[in-house]
Amino acid sequence: MSLAFSEDTRARHERMLARYPNREAAILPTLHLAQREFGHLSAEAIAYVASLLGFTPARVEGVATFYTMYNRKPVGKYHLQVCRNLSCSLMGAEHLIEHVAGRLGVRPGETTADGKFTLSTVECLGSCGTAPVMQVNDDYYEDLSEDKVDAILDGLR
Amino acid sequence: MELVLTTHFGNERYRFAETYEQLGGYGALRKALSMPKEEIVAEVRKANLRGRGGAGFPAGVKWGFLPKDLSRPRILVINADEGEPGTFKDRLIMTRGPHLLIEGIAITCYALEAHTCYVYIRGEFVREAEIVQEAIDEATAKGYLGKGILGTGFDLEVTVHLGAGAYICGEETSLINSLEGKRGWPRVKPPFPASVGAFGLPTIVNNVETIADIPWIVTHGGEKFASLGVEKDGGTRLICVSGPVKKPGVYELPVGTSLRSIIYEHAGGLRDGKALKAVIPGGSSTPVLRADEIDVGFDIESMQKIGTMAGSGGVIVIPEGTCMVRALSVLMNFYAHESCGQCTPCREGCGWLAKVLHRIENGQGRNGDVELILEVCDNMLGRTICPLADAAVMPAQSFIWKFREEFDGHLREKKCPYGNRF
Amino acid sequence: MPNFTLNGISVDVPEGTTVLQAAKTVGIEIPHYCYHPNLSIAGNCRMCLVEVEKFPKLQIACNTVVTEGMVVKSDTEKVRQAVTGVLELMLINHPVDCPICDQAGECGLQIYYMKYGLHKSRFAFEDKVHKKKVQDIGGQIVLDAERCILCSRCIRFLQEVTGTSELEFFRRGDHSEISIFPGRPLDNQYTGNLADICPVGALTSKDFRFKCRVWFLRGTRSICPGCANGCNVEAHFKEDIVYRLKPRRNDDVNRTWMCDPGRLEYKKANEARLLTPVVRENGGLKAEAWEAALSFAAFRLWETVEAHGAASVAVIASPAFSNEELYLARKLAEEVLRTPNVGFSPRSSGNGLSDDFLIKADKNPNTRGAQLLGISEEKFDDIVRKIEGGEVKALLVFGNELADFPGERTAELLSRVPFVAQVGTNEGAVSLAAHAVLPSASFVERGGTFTNHAGRVQRFWMGFPPRGNARGGIEILVGLANRLGAGWTFAGEASVFRAIARSEAPFAGMSYESLGELGQIAGGKG
Repeated sequence: MSLAFSEDTRARHERMLARYPNREAAILPTLHLAQREFGHLSAEAIAYVASLLGFTPARVEGVATFYTMYNRKPVGKYHLQVCRNLSCSLMGAEHLIEHVAGRLGVRPGETTADGKFTLSTVECLGSCGTAPVMQVNDDYYEDLSEDKVDAILDGLR
Repeated sequence: MELVLTTHFGNERYRFAETYEQLGGYGALRKALSMPKEEIVAEVRKANLRGRGGAGFPAGVKWGFLPKDLSRPRILVINADEGEPGTFKDRLIMTRGPHLLIEGIAITCYALEAHTCYVYIRGEFVREAEIVQEAIDEATAKGYLGKGILGTGFDLEVTVHLGAGAYICGEETSLINSLEGKRGWPRVKPPFPASVGAFGLPTIVNNVETIADIPWIVTHGGEKFASLGVEKDGGTRLICVSGPVKKPGVYELPVGTSLRSIIYEHAGGLRDGKALKAVIPGGSSTPVLRADEIDVGFDIESMQKIGTMAGSGGVIVIPEGTCMVRALSVLMNFYAHESCGQCTPCREGCGWLAKVLHRIENGQGRNGDVELILEVCDNMLGRTICPLADAAVMPAQSFIWKFREEFDGHLREKKCPYGNRF
Repeated sequence: MPNFTLNGISVDVPEGTTVLQAAKTVGIEIPHYCYHPNLSIAGNCRMCLVEVEKFPKLQIACNTVVTEGMVVKSDTEKVRQAVTGVLELMLINHPVDCPICDQAGECGLQIYYMKYGLHKSRFAFEDKVHKKKVQDIGGQIVLDAERCILCSRCIRFLQEVTGTSELEFFRRGDHSEISIFPGRPLDNQYTGNLADICPVGALTSKDFRFKCRVWFLRGTRSICPGCANGCNVEAHFKEDIVYRLKPRRNDDVNRTWMCDPGRLEYKKANEARLLTPVVRENGGLKAEAWEAALSFAAFRLWETVEAHGAASVAVIASPAFSNEELYLARKLAEEVLRTPNVGFSPRSSGNGLSDDFLIKADKNPNTRGAQLLGISEEKFDDIVRKIEGGEVKALLVFGNELADFPGERTAELLSRVPFVAQVGTNEGAVSLAAHAVLPSASFVERGGTFTNHAGRVQRFWMGFPPRGNARGGIEILVGLANRLGAGWTFAGEASVFRAIARSEAPFAGMSYESLGELGQIAGGKG
């Protein structure tokens, strides 16, 4: 197996394991670490996490595919996740998604040819009072308008 | 007006322990540590504090379900998997007043004799989790958490656990499974978490806001808290208002405040002079209200009386000119996306509802489709392990019951009269 | 013992019994898919909904423990509607490809649709969620994810019984499906059980696939002849061909499981069978009628005793034969031929496979039975030495092989004996060398008892009469003995077992009635 955590991640992983009464509980946090380290959770990454914690890869894959934040396929450098739930829709999310898609030349679920942006639509991000909302990697961008999104995308170039 | 939680939320530095302490923070913990444990629980019972996560179960009663013997360690789990569409209050507490939550955790754990607490935060809230973690580190450094808190013999370890994108994990047994590293499938009950919860141990799961209320209750007493609200539903609650209102946001209001005043006074009414068409009062899973049904107090029992729920306090304001079929279709996509897939009625029913609504909205509905939706709803309601099926059915039924003409109109005209847009 | 009322009937049940289990005991069917008596409770199929007094919502019978005074109804309109509703939902994404589904005829969806469904299809075909079909996932199993109703029995089996967890749920909602991780196929010796516990056509047996429609099959209760564990099975056959073995529940032996190698044991009843008596004389083989073959064999045995004394005759019994047959074989040796040379031929190593669950290293179904009947394994070694020393002039061999000897060794040994008679089922090293082949019935073609490794005496039943010209071992033994003047009057395995119960201490007090379907532990020493 060629994939492996870096020294740093390994150390973080060890510290994390100490917080839980068993290795099973560490599956979600370990997958989070793996996704940060490897970019996405390839079959190889799943098998690595499984062997690290002592479970079958199927067991880990079952968890990884249940939760939407684990990317089983590669995503761009910036993962744009635009909320499409009701509060955001009432505040123009549909138009916003079309706008971003048009600007990047991709449909939701796709990645730009240069590998920079992946556009996804997501369900409620829990920030309905500042709708419409988009998450870019770890950060929320709120109270969006087309102009605001343009400025954000320009900043990410 | 008396505020329990948000008094200092305008203060940028309130999220740091030092400022929090200067403004009286951790006084409640000191007081609690000098009180008999039963007395703390008794105050919470007196407070009529109902769970703020959506189900509204009385917190003190829930705590009473723990087995009496202390032979097995107990666990407190904080449900910070805020995901009910229309709800964004726990995020506010975690970012503006994380020490309220931590102080609440310390008091609750002390009262319940739990030495382990997990704060399960939805995975998308990366920054929020960082703030909470920072606050935990501060609190630990200051002796409010960790070994022998504030010089007592009481140890308490608090761990932040991030979810990974699953609405269902807001259901407490699903959350426990997720915490244990499993797929977030709700558990069949019995056994209930209070006897067999996380890692097989007696477990109490409480919402962020519920626990953040605890310090105030300890400081001011349960009766005072109860008096802020209505009978059997005490205190204030954080009401989230979203949709095209002038001032969307979170408002801390006494339980029982009228829904009309929430929308028109606190949130400033609708934007651009639009008229109100409908309101979803307690998060997307609660039955929708027509514009003429908003003269109701925002408390659990008053809401129940008019056939809806206070839920998690997520008021979604729907303006005139909104296609209710499209709105429901958006919600059904959500439930179909979030059904965990465990129970047949929910797994298959949510997807079916979403597909039928989609075709109605797109002018391809068939005669009898509305009746079909209602029948599928009947076959889902109350038939599953957890309430997600019910959560999908309640908006579906209420949208149709209250706005039937719009559904029939789509079928009649074979198109969306609103032009397939919001 | 709580007492409760089910559909108006008062029922007493042991503490901890669920409504679903209690209903079974009084013959009331509560439909279910995910519940399985030997797996944990999942409660997810939602088919077993019942009305429980004081509960506003319908409750699942599989997870509702009976309490004193509980009033449960499973026959109301409300319950019926709920079950029909759940069934309809279960079918909306199902491909309904019954004509090309191997489960047809024993499919839970078909069965319950006839009982509780019969609704019109209201779901558009083009809206169905499609998933992968016909996937070889290893072991004996083919997976069709579209047909799966996600009851989780297979997943629980692999977690709780084998502990190997090769299958899992992937994704969620109506896109949930069961699958292996790519490149990690099923890797355990119990995969065939997955096809048994799958209530629908999602997991089917590679071996049985499209061999026969199940409604043409008949079944008989049997015991797996593959090893000393004695797993209770059901043998399914059409006419005189056996198609498969399925485990039969016996919680003291195999619960509801059996191993993969055992599952293929049926093939021996079909392939390379000895189906007609054959006599070898003057270097040539000749098919004979039974009367002639038995007389020939009896004569040669008698002749040998006369010429060289009883000690020149030996009987090699086989632990693949029933207690009844072994008893008569011993009796023939001791009382009719009066030879001390009777032993059994151990096939102790087999393929060597064993585990701490169902698979025993001893690949014989009745080693313990032979021992308890006083036939010794050591005697076999003694007989082999005597054969090598040229002392054995006539030999009666039961079974198709001698111990686990290679074929050449068996051929070489038997070539030293002037007369070899075989009672066996299949072609092999013994039949190649025998001078008289007396073809006997397979385990599905006769009845009897085996004694498993733990001393449990268990019955197996005849499914159909012996194939071709084969005969039951008892009949063959009686035929030989009576031609040697014994005057035996045994008729059928029950009469032999009665004799065993009378004369053999470990079996004292037993009868076919007392053995019942699940057997009894033999007394005597361990």
